[in-house]
Amino acid sequence: MTAAAFLPWLIVAMVVVAAVQIARRVILWRSGRPARVDWLAGLKALPRRYLVDVHHVVDRDRSASRMHVPTAGGLVLACALLVVGLVPAIAASRLYFGLVALAFLVMTAGVVLEVRRRYPRPLPRLSLGQWQKLPIPLGVFALGGFVTAFLASLGDPLPAVSILTLLLTTAAGLGLAGMAGHGPMRHALAGAAHLAAHPRPERFGGGRSTELRPIDLDAPGTGKLGAETPADFAWNRLLAFDACVQCGRCEAACPAFAAGQPLSPKHLIVDLAAAAGGGYAQPYAGNAYPNARPVGGAAGLHAPIVSPEGLVHPDTLWSCTTCRACVEECPMMIEHVDAIVDLRRFQTLERGAVPLKAEEPLANFRGADEPNGRALAERTDFAADLRLKVMKDGATAEILLWLGGAAFDLRGQRTLRALILALNAAGVEFAVLGEEERDCGDLARRLGDEATFQRLAKANVATLSQYRFSRILTADPHALHVLRNEYPAFGGSFDVVHHTAFLAEMVAAGRLAPAALTGKAVTYHDPCYLGRYNGEIEAPRALIDALGLERREMARSGRRSMCCGGGGGAPVTDIPGDTRIPDIRMGQASDTGARIVAVACPQCTAMLEGVTGERPEVRDVAELLWEAVQAGGRNEAAAVKAGEPA
Amino acid sequence: MRTLVLLSDARHPVSGRPHLSRLETQAIGLAASLDPAARGLHAGSGEDAVRAGLGHGLAGLDVIETTGEADPLPALVGFLADALGGADAPELILAGRRGEGGFETGLVPYLVAERLGLPIVADAVAIRAGEMPGTLVVDQAMAKGARRRVTVRLPAVVTVHPLSPLPRPFAYGPMRRGRIRRHSPAAEQADLPAVAKMAGHGTVAGRAEDTGGTTVGPVDVVPADERPHRARPKLMRTSGTAAGGANLHVGPDPTEAARLILDYLEANGIRRYGKAPE
Repeated sequence: MTAAAFLPWLIVAMVVVAAVQIARRVILWRSGRPARVDWLAGLKALPRRYLVDVHHVVDRDRSASRMHVPTAGGLVLACALLVVGLVPAIAASRLYFGLVALAFLVMTAGVVLEVRRRYPRPLPRLSLGQWQKLPIPLGVFALGGFVTAFLASLGDPLPAVSILTLLLTTAAGLGLAGMAGHGPMRHALAGAAHLAAHPRPERFGGGRSTELRPIDLDAPGTGKLGAETPADFAWNRLLAFDACVQCGRCEAACPAFAAGQPLSPKHLIVDLAAAAGGGYAQPYAGNAYPNARPVGGAAGLHAPIVSPEGLVHPDTLWSCTTCRACVEECPMMIEHVDAIVDLRRFQTLERGAVPLKAEEPLANFRGADEPNGRALAERTDFAADLRLKVMKDGATAEILLWLGGAAFDLRGQRTLRALILALNAAGVEFAVLGEEERDCGDLARRLGDEATFQRLAKANVATLSQYRFSRILTADPHALHVLRNEYPAFGGSFDVVHHTAFLAEMVAAGRLAPAALTGKAVTYHDPCYLGRYNGEIEAPRALIDALGLERREMARSGRRSMCCGGGGGAPVTDIPGDTRIPDIRMGQASDTGARIVAVACPQCTAMLEGVTGERPEVRDVAELLWEAVQAGGRNEAAAVKAGEPA
Repeated sequence: MRTLVLLSDARHPVSGRPHLSRLETQAIGLAASLDPAARGLHAGSGEDAVRAGLGHGLAGLDVIETTGEADPLPALVGFLADALGGADAPELILAGRRGEGGFETGLVPYLVAERLGLPIVADAVAIRAGEMPGTLVVDQAMAKGARRRVTVRLPAVVTVHPLSPLPRPFAYGPMRRGRIRRHSPAAEQADLPAVAKMAGHGTVAGRAEDTGGTTVGPVDVVPADERPHRARPKLMRTSGTAAGGANLHVGPDPTEAARLILDYLEANGIRRYGKAPE
C-alpha cells in the first residue's frame, strides 16, 4: 500500500475538521435575525455567480485572479479527485495519481503567484498575520500532495520520501481545515454560502440592486429599530461578514480612508465578524482605522457594536459617504453600505446619537420637510422670471421637473436655470410641483432616520400619484435614485430620468442644436448615485462629446469613480480627517490637465467648488450645454443675417 | 428630583405645522439631566407634536385633552394641584420662556406659579440640585451675557432660556414606545380674571405658552412710528482728521485703551454714551 493511498482519507479528515470548525460559525449565523432566502435558486446560480460575477471583480486585479484561479481550482480539483479515490479500484491506478499530481501542480503554481504578491513586501492594502502566513500551509499542502501523488503515479519508487511528504501534506491539510472557522480559509466556505444566500441576488448576472430596504417602523412589541448588536443583523449578513478575504480593495477605494477619516471598510467588516464571535480570535493585522479613536473592544453576540466601549467607534460609522465604492470593489460581494446604514439606523432611531451637526437637518426635516429649514413655497423663487408651470394649478405636462434641494442653493440655482432654459429652448412641456414638492428624504435615510424618510416618501408618493405625467426629470442623482429605486417600496413606481440623459436625448433628436465649444479640455466626474448606483455613465459623456469638448478621463471614473465626499450625510456629520475628500478628488481632476470639471450633481458641485486654490472650473453638464446652445443660437442668427439681402 | 416639563402647542416657524418647541426640547434636556424619569405635561387638543418630547428624553407624557379653543390654564393648574398634593409630587416644573404658537401670551408659567403659589425663576441656562435638600441652584441668563446664580426652594417653576445646552437629539424608537397617559380636564373651571386681564393687554410681542391664543381677544397692534430721516455722522469724512498722530497710542494698558476707544467712539457720534437716542 502506497503512502498516496492515504491521501483520500486525508481529504475526508480535512472535511470533518472543516465541518466542525465552520459549524461553530453556523451556530453564530443562526442567532441572526431571520431572512428570506431562496436556497434552491441560490444554489442553482452558485456556479455562475462564482465563476462569472465574482471572477469579473477579482479579475480587475490581474495578479489576484492569476493567483486565485490556479490555487482554488487546483485545490478543489485535487480534493474532488481524491474523494473519487476512495473507490479502491480507482486508487490502484497510476494514471489516476498522475491526474491528482497534476491538480496539485496547478495549485502549487497558484501558491507561487500568491507568494509573489506577499513576499518580500506585500501590497499595502493586504492584511498580514495569518493571511501573510497562509501561503506556507497552502504551499506545503500543494507541494507535498504533488510529490506524494507523483511518486505514486511512478509506482512509488521512494517509499520513505512518500511517507515524509504524506506526513507534511497531512499536517498542512489539517492546518488549513482548522482555519475554516476563524482563520483565512473561512472565506471559502462562508464565501460560497454567501453567494448562494446573498441578500441581494438581483446583483448577479449583470443586474443591479442598490436601493436601501425599508424597515418596519411599527413592528409590534418593543422590537428595536436598526442593528445594535451582531444578533440584530439578518443571518445572511453575519454570513457575509465571515466571507471577507481582507484583500483591502474596499479600503483602497474608500474616500474616507484616503482622507484619513477613521473608516476602513475592510476593518469594519472584520470587526463585525469578530464582534459576532465575542472578539478577535487573532489580532487584526490590516491597516488600522486612520486616526483611530480608542475603543474598549468589548464584543459579543449581544453586545453593542458601535460605542466607545465596543469594537467600532461612532466616528467610524459617521465617516461613510455611502458611495458604494467598497461594494463595487468587493470580490466577495459583501454589502458594506447596508451594514453601515443598519448600524446608523439604530444610533439615530433608538439612541438619538447622531453627530450634533446632523441633528439640525434632521430636525428641519421633521418640522419643515426640508433639510435646510427653508419654506417649501420658496422652492421656485429662483425661477420667478421663468414662468414655471405648477402641477397644482392644473398644468398637464409630459415631464415633471423635480427641482430638489438645489433650488434653495445659489449655486444649484444656476444649474437649474440652465436646465430650464435648455428645456424651454427644446420646446419641452414640463411642470414642477412647486410648494407640494417635499425633499425626497435621501439625507434622512442615509443618516439612519428611516422614520422621517418613510414619512416623506409616503407624502411624496401621494402627491405624485395625483398628477399625470410620463416621466420625472431631475438634476439631482440622489433624488433620482430615491425616486426611481426606493419609492417603489412605498407604492410609487415612476419613470425617472436624469437631466444628462434627457438632454442627451434632446440633442440626439435634434431638438437642441449646441454649437461646438472648442478649445476646452473637460474631465467628467461621475456622481456615485448616478454611476455606481444607477449605472448611468454613458449619457453625460455622450453629451460632452456632442458639445465638441475634448474629454479626458480621470484615473478613477465610470463605475469605479471616486466620491466627492458629499454623499451619505458626510458633509453634516463632518468627521475630521487629515485632508478633505473633495480636495483629493479635485487633485485627480487637475492631474488630467483639464480646465473644466464637468459635474452632474448638486452635491458634487458644492463639494468640488469648495476646494480652495487654483483648480479647474466646476461646471454642470447642463450649464455647458446651455452655453453651447446659446452659442449655436448666435451663430444661427449671424448666419441668417449674413444671408439677408443687403 | 421629580421633574415635570410643560409642553406647549407650538408651531414650526417655517412650516407652521404643530411641532415641539425647540425651547421646550432644551427644557427636556435640563430635566433629563436631573431626573431620568422626567415627565411632560400638555393640555391641548392634539398630542402628535408634543409626543416628540418622548424622543428627546422624557420618560412619560401626561396629556390633558381639552378642546382646541379652550384655555389650557385651568386644566394645567387642576392637574398640577392634584399632583402636588399626591404622592410623587413634582418638585420642579420646567417651561419654555416664551410661547411659539402664534397669538400666545407667554404668561402660562407665571400664571401657573401664581395659582399654585410657587416661586418662579425665569431664563435658566443651567440647573442643578442645591446643597441643601429641597433646593435648586439656577443659573439665569441676563442681558449681555451676564449670568446670575440663584438658589430657590422647591417646589418651583423655572423657565428655560434659549442659551441653555442643546437637548439630546430626537430618537424615534423611544417616542414610539413612550407611554402617554391621557386625562380629562379637571371639572372645576375657575374663572380667570388674571388671564383675561393680562391677555387683553397683550401685544403681539407678549405670547403665552399653552393658551392656544383662545382667551386672547382681538390684538391691538400698535403701528410702528414713522421715523424721520436723521443725518448720520459722516464717519468717512471725520476719520481722516481724527486718525492723526495724536490718536496713536502705543502699548496702553487695557483699561486705558478701552477708555480711549470709548472716547473716540463718542467723539465721532458712533456711540452715544448715557444719552437718550434722539
